[in-house]
Amino acid sequence: MIQTPEDIAGLYVLGLLDAARRNEVERDMENDAALQARVADWEERLLPLTRMVEPEPLPPGLWSRIERSLWPAPRAGAASVPSSLFSRLWDSLAFWRSLAATGFAAAMLLAVVGLPGTQPAGEPKFMVVLVAPDDKAPGWVVQASTEQSLKLIPLGVTDVPQAKALQFWTKGDKWKGPVSLGLVQPGRPLDVQMKELPPLEPNQLFEITLEPEYGSPIGRPTGPILYIGRAVKVM
Amino acid sequence: MTSTTDDFDFEAALGACAAGERSALRRIYEREGGRLMGVALRIVRRRDVAEDVVHDAFVRIWEKASSFDASRGSARGWIYSIVRHGALNHIRDHAREVPADESLTDSFEHETSSSVPDPYQQVLLSSEAGMLYDCLGRLDAAKRSSILLAYLEGCTHTEIADRLATPLGTIKAWIRRGLQALKECLA
Repeated sequence: MIQTPEDIAGLYVLGLLDAARRNEVERDMENDAALQARVADWEERLLPLTRMVEPEPLPPGLWSRIERSLWPAPRAGAASVPSSLFSRLWDSLAFWRSLAATGFAAAMLLAVVGLPGTQPAGEPKFMVVLVAPDDKAPGWVVQASTEQSLKLIPLGVTDVPQAKALQFWTKGDKWKGPVSLGLVQPGRPLDVQMKELPPLEPNQLFEITLEPEYGSPIGRPTGPILYIGRAVKVM
Repeated sequence: MTSTTDDFDFEAALGACAAGERSALRRIYEREGGRLMGVALRIVRRRDVAEDVVHDAFVRIWEKASSFDASRGSARGWIYSIVRHGALNHIRDHAREVPADESLTDSFEHETSSSVPDPYQQVLLSSEAGMLYDCLGRLDAAKRSSILLAYLEGCTHTEIADRLATPLGTIKAWIRRGLQALKECLA
């Protein structure tokens, strides 16, 4: 029986090729875009079958085993923030305060001091330093490794009056108004996915305002701006 | 059977993995790990081996995330193919070590023995919507069973021939024609 390339791709996905043939397909796929596409098409066609399989309980230790294999060194600090960058920021907070830097200058400084030693894969694309509007004291840093997700990192603990909350907002240059990125716990980092928003752009505005306990009731800032800054693209 | 995977953005999660965001891998694990474990277990039939397969797959997902190309297929499909081929490679390399976990053998045998040669009648009764299920329903039982035994249980041609008590050459022809029919139906 003559096997067409289409047959071979289908049989490969079903797992029905013998070892020699299977290795051959895997090797050829690296350079053969057409074969790669045929195999990917079959994977895609048959994928709905996996929904017939009921999920199985995951063994309790499995995730930590995966973590140990991938990241053998002990982990400290928040997940995606290189700890050296984090501690350096922390250490230099007093310095920044005395410098009374503008958000922009501080962000540039951060971009410069923060980069050496961080992993290339985790390099932030955008940085924002959020500073208090009056004395320009930095209170939070925003770090975005992709254009659709970012991390808000506290540089200290913001005092929040009772029955009030911190709310995080962003606004692109051409947007009609700010969009809420959610409520923020004082002193706690926050991961934000921005799938529904346009990709991050340079100079995009970020701010944290003081709002009622459950957030602004009208979908735009109502309280005073506590911290504000603009996105800087990291070179 | 749940099918609530649509609201999770696997592509974004892989992108975040490629950008070094460890929590993104964790999100994939939490979201899909259980079913990936199920898929692996069904093929290798031993919990300890299935655990190794899922472990290796997640290491690979992290390391290869940047090579994922959305123009070639879905992120979810990419993730499943890593787990399935990991499991298939294992049983092909280890000639499906016996004994399988007894409890598993029991449950799989029980599921299938009563209805051979159509162990997958359930496909037709499945609440899953979608073209693939319609198209499988149009195949005759022999072709459908052969394809599902291979895809879901990692059976070889010979094993399928045994399960369906049918000559090997016939099984090979069924699978080949079954795949062609599926492709046409899905086109």
